[in-house]
Amino acid sequence: MDLKAIMARARRGLREELRLYLVAISSLSVAFLCVGGALLVTTNLSLLAEHWGQSGRMSVYLEDEAAPDDVTQLRVVLEGLSEVAEVQRLTSEQARATFLEEAELGAELSSLPAAAFPGSIEVTLRPGTDPARASAIATQVGQFRAVSDVETYRGFFDRLSSLIRAGENIAGLLALLVALCVLAVIGNTIRLAVARRRPEIEVMKLCGATDGFVRGPFVVEGMFQGLAAALLAVLVLVASFVALRGHLDGSLAALTGVRAAFLEPWMLIALVFGGAFVGALGSAVSLRRYLVV
Amino acid sequence: MARDDLDAEGMDTKVVRPFAFFRAGARGNPSDSTKPILAFDEVYKYFRADQPTLRNINLEVQRGEFAFVTGPSGAGKSTLLQLVYRQHTVDQGRILFCGKDIARLTAASIPFLRRNLGIVFQDFKVVPHWSVFENVAVALEILAMPGRLVRSRVAEALERVGLAGRGGDRTETLSGGEQQRVAVARAIVTEPALILADEPTGNLDPHLAIDILTLLEEINATGTTVLFATHDHSLISKRDHRIISLDDGRVVEARTGLRSWPGALGAVG
Repeated sequence: MDLKAIMARARRGLREELRLYLVAISSLSVAFLCVGGALLVTTNLSLLAEHWGQSGRMSVYLEDEAAPDDVTQLRVVLEGLSEVAEVQRLTSEQARATFLEEAELGAELSSLPAAAFPGSIEVTLRPGTDPARASAIATQVGQFRAVSDVETYRGFFDRLSSLIRAGENIAGLLALLVALCVLAVIGNTIRLAVARRRPEIEVMKLCGATDGFVRGPFVVEGMFQGLAAALLAVLVLVASFVALRGHLDGSLAALTGVRAAFLEPWMLIALVFGGAFVGALGSAVSLRRYLVV
Repeated sequence: MARDDLDAEGMDTKVVRPFAFFRAGARGNPSDSTKPILAFDEVYKYFRADQPTLRNINLEVQRGEFAFVTGPSGAGKSTLLQLVYRQHTVDQGRILFCGKDIARLTAASIPFLRRNLGIVFQDFKVVPHWSVFENVAVALEILAMPGRLVRSRVAEALERVGLAGRGGDRTETLSGGEQQRVAVARAIVTEPALILADEPTGNLDPHLAIDILTLLEEINATGTTVLFATHDHSLISKRDHRIISLDDGRVVEARTGLRSWPGALGAVG
């Protein structure tokens, strides 16, 4: 089959049905935007989970009136444990300064006194530390006189893991729905185009055109719609991310310790080419029954 | 396209059959040239089980012949032609085109059959928003013919139908007679073995009808077989071609010239 002729006829088809295709592309790009957005949220949740999971952190909050000797003794005990990689003392002043720096909230919270931030010992566990052992260490450490509370973040991490799993499931479901939606929209758009170009198809078939010859340009047109819609969605996603990143980073980093990340390049490429593939498929499938002349 | 196929002016002189009969790569049998180009052998076609549209059709059309297919509305003229280009399938019997039974063709082979036919319809079947050139060139694009060759062949076909230099016009701006000429140009541009004209003058006034008939006769004079379906006896009476008459799905007469029919001249008026 002559690819050049197919492309030429597809170009003509796109020109003739431009308004119809623009409407379809705008509808489809919203669908792709939903998938892109869901992927973005899932990606960031995964990063957060990875960050927290790998850090194996434990915050040992100290009593306000903890004696320095008790704190020192506690520190020596923690450093002696084989599971502990690093121990860092954080005074109330340091905790306040770190919070204000990461939160980037400046004046609003700068009036908070240092007493509002309890002193702590930040413990970094070695990677691969058994969660049960971490909990046991937390229980033992909690019995020290100088300790008011121990936060292992385990509960948070478990909840986060569930959230990420749910997010991934939703993103997968959304991708499936979008694929069906794209198939339906492109299929219907092509059907409309086919109905309008019925005389062309009839003429071609009566002149001896094979189904492939007739179908070729429509498949290219469907592929173009899917590609253009996915590309538009990616561009909108990039623009939105760049615009919102400044606002997101400050508060997000303060709360989670992770900066917002965009989708990996392979994900963007997969989204665009996936759009093109689904577009071509929708077109090919919807044409089948219109080829009988 | 080999250089040998082009003459000094760059025009192709070879009869191009980019796709051999029915299937690419198939070779025609030289002995077929002595056989009728089209033969119906006890053909039946039913659209309703109790009422065949065509019944026991036995008919031969010789190479290079011009034949009218006539009969009242509903007699089966169009159906007869549609069986040849496989719009419909035969329910019983055989139709031999160039010695091959086209009634048994697979769906995949039908396009290759149609590439050997030129079809002209009553409603022209041209694409109104395409240019005249595009409407004719489509038949050659299907054959994947190179662009340069397409241009020269289309120009030649348009000249033959009296539309030289009109290739750039939008087809919808042409008159009915001109649109039918475009359809004829499309039918002849591939140099088919057989032209099927299904009431090609049905939508034209008598003057234009004669024009189209004359045009198809000129094409026939170059060796192309023409099967011309019409119920217009005033048109048939003006020529002395063979007449295949259908009535109620049967071939009732198959003879040459309306003038030789007993009492026909009086009926034609």
